[in-house]
Amino acid sequence: MGWEEKRVRGYLEFAQTAQRYHGRPIFALFCGDKDAEGKSWCPDCVTAEPIVRKELHNMPDESVFIYCLVGDRAYWKDPNNEFRKNLKLTAVPTLLKYGTPQKLVEEECFKAELVRMLFTED
Amino acid sequence: QEAAKYEKKVMVLDFVTPTPLGNSWGLGGTCVNVGCIPKKLMHQAALLGQALEDSRKFGWQFTEEVEHNWMTMTESVQNYIGSLNWGYRVALREKKVTYENAYGEFVAPHTVKATNKRGVEKLYTAERFLIATGERPRYLGIPGDKEYCISSDDLFSLPYCPGKTLVVGASYVALECAGFLAGLGLDVTVMVRSILLRGFDQDIANKIGEYMEEHGIKFIREFVPIKVEQIEEGTPGRLKVTAKSTKGNEIIEGEYNTVLLAIGRDACTRNIGLDKVGVKINEKTGKIPVNDEEQTNVPYIYAVGDILQDKLELTPVAIQAGRLLIRRLYGGATSKCDYVNVPTTVFTPLEYGACGYSEETAVEKFGEENIEVYHSHFWPLEWTVPSRDNNKCYAKIICNIQDNERVIGFHVLGPNAGEVTQGFAAAIKCGMTKEQLDSTIGIHPVCAEV
Repeated sequence: MGWEEKRVRGYLEFAQTAQRYHGRPIFALFCGDKDAEGKSWCPDCVTAEPIVRKELHNMPDESVFIYCLVGDRAYWKDPNNEFRKNLKLTAVPTLLKYGTPQKLVEEECFKAELVRMLFTED
Repeated sequence: QEAAKYEKKVMVLDFVTPTPLGNSWGLGGTCVNVGCIPKKLMHQAALLGQALEDSRKFGWQFTEEVEHNWMTMTESVQNYIGSLNWGYRVALREKKVTYENAYGEFVAPHTVKATNKRGVEKLYTAERFLIATGERPRYLGIPGDKEYCISSDDLFSLPYCPGKTLVVGASYVALECAGFLAGLGLDVTVMVRSILLRGFDQDIANKIGEYMEEHGIKFIREFVPIKVEQIEEGTPGRLKVTAKSTKGNEIIEGEYNTVLLAIGRDACTRNIGLDKVGVKINEKTGKIPVNDEEQTNVPYIYAVGDILQDKLELTPVAIQAGRLLIRRLYGGATSKCDYVNVPTTVFTPLEYGACGYSEETAVEKFGEENIEVYHSHFWPLEWTVPSRDNNKCYAKIICNIQDNERVIGFHVLGPNAGEVTQGFAAAIKCGMTKEQLDSTIGIHPVCAEV
């Protein structure tokens, strides 16, 4: 069947989507919001996104890739935002395998090898 | 990772043969997955239970009875371990170390065969090899042991609360596990063949046993199990254990939900093809003798860790030996691993930290007339208000009279023993004498000032 992508914005949408696909491998990339020209306020996210997208074909069949915009810079900087509280995210970009401790943060997302390892790890 | 720093091409072969009950785990070895890390976390869980009890005397008011949920604890612990496994994978990758989750064995000089869990085989050659395969728990060899008993390999990820438990063994693994299981509120019995904590200072070992007994852990001494049968299946089920006295013909029976075997660990050196490359092992123990540069009798094969003969089985020792070895091989360094005066701690309910000689070994080596033992009981300030035992905590140091009363043995029994011992270990390595110790002013009020 291959894999499919879901684009969401904000924590509530993310949580609902993750729950809907419970039982399938779920990978999520969290990035800062994008402006009208499609550019994120988070420069590392801008760098990471194309690298991650190039490796998506390595995800196992039936995987769901959730591309999640977390919010604007002010929201993200708040130490009590829902992503920090509920998912224990510490930075953007974060690429993770939902439901496991496996994740890559910031510059780790720039390394195609590590991204591939996350997608193919047992 | 150390070798990769020197631009060497490195590969790691890590594979966990599943336990008889089918358990396995990720990258990191025993300590991370089924040893020190989960052990200390569960020990902490038990200590927190005790702290909750004490807290009432310090003014915290709560009416509900506090209970422990095994699954919640186990899930958190396993999650943490998972993040460590993942962290190692990332670290190896970043340092360009090739990792294969495959079982390695020598098939010819300089050649290793790696078999992964699907049975696919690959051959690799290398200039040098380092064996660090560690050990696995020993089974009793009695009917029912593999089918119904668990070991420390299974305990830390057990998907159900073990319930009423019989711990077989008197090693630190046995006593630590018995300790935290009881601390979590479970009914625990320890079956001991002869003495407690063989190899450790026996004066202290007995105090530890006494403390555990006074705090609800039952001990059955001088018996060994001869049969384990299943009365009822379940998670946990019910097991019947039959045991025989070591001193006669008496037979006793007992019923438990879980039987945890902690009678020793055997080196994983028998099935890795060492005979094909000529590496000598001690046939009886399976351990590998090495010279003081961790080299086996085959010059290009080295070994570190628990599998070494006559060396301490401790994680930091293995790590240090490995790092120094690589620095000697590729970094031009000359320092060898110092196996003397290595501090250790046993995380029984009353923690025990030690560095240097036990009293018995000191007497044996230096003669009773040449050593002086200074000791004291102490009552931690934190224990006074909740009226906890006032004469159980204990510290002793052993000095060599002929060498300026140099401190050659340090032993402390009490809370945070590990933290206390670490500093004193550094002092002992520097050759601290009793006089220097006396002239060091204590921090007050802490246990360590004694």
